[in-house]
Amino acid sequence: MPKTKLLVIGLGQDLRGDDAAGLEVVKRWQAEYPETAGDPELVVELSPLPGLSLLSFLECAEAAILVDAVQSGARVGTVHVLQREDLAAFGTDARSAHGWGVAETLALGEELYADKLPKRIRLLAIEAGGLELGSQLSVEVQAALPAAAQKLQELVLLLRQPEAGNEAETQQAGVLN
Amino acid sequence: MPETIHVPALARVEGEGGLYIGVKDGSVTEIRVDIYEPPRFFEGFLRGRFLQDVPDITARICGICPVAYQMSAVRALENALGASVTRQVRELRNLFYCGEWIESHVLHIFMLQGPDLTGHESALSLAAVAPEVVKTALRMKKIGNQVLKVIGGRSVHPVNACAGGFYSWPDAAELRALIPELEWGLHEAIKAASWAKGLPFPELEVDYEFVAMHRKDEYAILDGEILSSQQGILPEADFEKHYLEKHVQRSNALHSYTTEGNPYLVGPLARLNLNHEYLGGQAARALKESGLKLPLRNPYKSLLARAIETVEVFERAIRLIDEYAPTGPSAAELTLKAGSGAAGSEAPRGLLYHRYNLDANGLVEQAKIVPPTAQNLGRMEADLWQLAPQLLALPHEEATLTAEHLLRAYDPCISCATHFLTLTVYDA
Repeated sequence: MPKTKLLVIGLGQDLRGDDAAGLEVVKRWQAEYPETAGDPELVVELSPLPGLSLLSFLECAEAAILVDAVQSGARVGTVHVLQREDLAAFGTDARSAHGWGVAETLALGEELYADKLPKRIRLLAIEAGGLELGSQLSVEVQAALPAAAQKLQELVLLLRQPEAGNEAETQQAGVLN
Repeated sequence: MPETIHVPALARVEGEGGLYIGVKDGSVTEIRVDIYEPPRFFEGFLRGRFLQDVPDITARICGICPVAYQMSAVRALENALGASVTRQVRELRNLFYCGEWIESHVLHIFMLQGPDLTGHESALSLAAVAPEVVKTALRMKKIGNQVLKVIGGRSVHPVNACAGGFYSWPDAAELRALIPELEWGLHEAIKAASWAKGLPFPELEVDYEFVAMHRKDEYAILDGEILSSQQGILPEADFEKHYLEKHVQRSNALHSYTTEGNPYLVGPLARLNLNHEYLGGQAARALKESGLKLPLRNPYKSLLARAIETVEVFERAIRLIDEYAPTGPSAAELTLKAGSGAAGSEAPRGLLYHRYNLDANGLVEQAKIVPPTAQNLGRMEADLWQLAPQLLALPHEEATLTAEHLLRAYDPCISCATHFLTLTVYDA
């Protein structure tokens, strides 16, 4: 089966405040960049709690951008662009994690199917504030959506190119305040 | 002799939960299983919604068992309206449910409880030494996922189910295309049931009241009456008369008890013990070949019940796809009226009960959701009390693992947890 060139996947629970940040960024990007988002070589998914099923999405793609909420202690609404290696420091010990999160799932995928996973994976992560069930997106995350959507667009344009985009993209990784 | 055991975040359970066992002067003084329980929020959230919004909302209570939350919901709503569905709709729901059981049971057997029994810290460390085992598990799980996707439109939080049936019939050719993988999965499930019986389960025999859905013509999953090992057969509409929820001061969650004040058990052990004579041919053979003597009363051995049930749902899914030939409308027409309706179904973790009171316009006036994990909370704590003398004789780390393993064996679904990453950002 031919692989999709690029997978964009928003992760989160839209009933739990800022946990929905990943979903909202992808929706915002779809609204602001419909031409890019409608590219037939792109697959866009919105997925709450995919757990291990994330591997099924990933194995169909040459490159992938995961858009998710994170908590790192940074200011709420901060947009992080991370590479796969940035996640290696945690998530390898499932004892310290709840269920199957993104980091553990990627680690398992690499253990089992390193050749099937996309060679290039990026995480666009939005610093989350409140995560209470029934709460709304925080004002800070709401305000960060345009910048995050723009960042997602930049990442999409880079990653849908073949490997050549790699170098420039590496330089872009980091924290966007 | 261990000191107080405190596991603030249980690993390998679906969501958030903690365990506290207080030890003072060599005796256990307190046992608390803390589980975050979202259905109370959803009961409020559903009030005032139109009945057809209910299955899509309740599906979001749990990322791992959305079909269960949809099936108990649509059946309760149909009962409130006095509506009935066609045999074809029932069989498709049955198949839909098989997909979810495959996913959930395989995940639990190999990735959640399996590591406890094979001396591994996690599925990840298991994958490092036995990658083929984990690959097989992931391939089996994926088949369940594909069944959900073909019927439900998507695999996580499927959207096709409604009161009355389905919004559309899934494509028969797409379902039939899954049969080779399902047959492979059935073969692997039979092998897994045989492998599982040799695992080193800890010893514990508990005198349970088993409660499960029950039918006389098949191993009940989707519907039926309620059967209790103590109380016999009860109509599903009478569930709340016999099983009560009460607030327990030390816990955020409601605990379920019988009217006599005893905790009871729902889930794979209850189902297998009560309904084993209704298993399909291959599952019945797997049970016979396992040499298991029923009733099984060791909670750790619920994995064995899950393994037999996995054979059952692979076998059933193949049969239901073979027979699938939809004609006519995919959903019954519903006539709105005020009323109350209740229904149970067997989520992978056990009996899931829903009740809805509707007004004349089909709006929800009251919703009641009693999930299996909440029903088992009282049992988990009671089991730990029974296990306490054994725990006290163990070194602290081993005692902690044995207690954690007991809770994982219940496969608690601590639903609707956030999944965000706790992230450390490094300065370059």
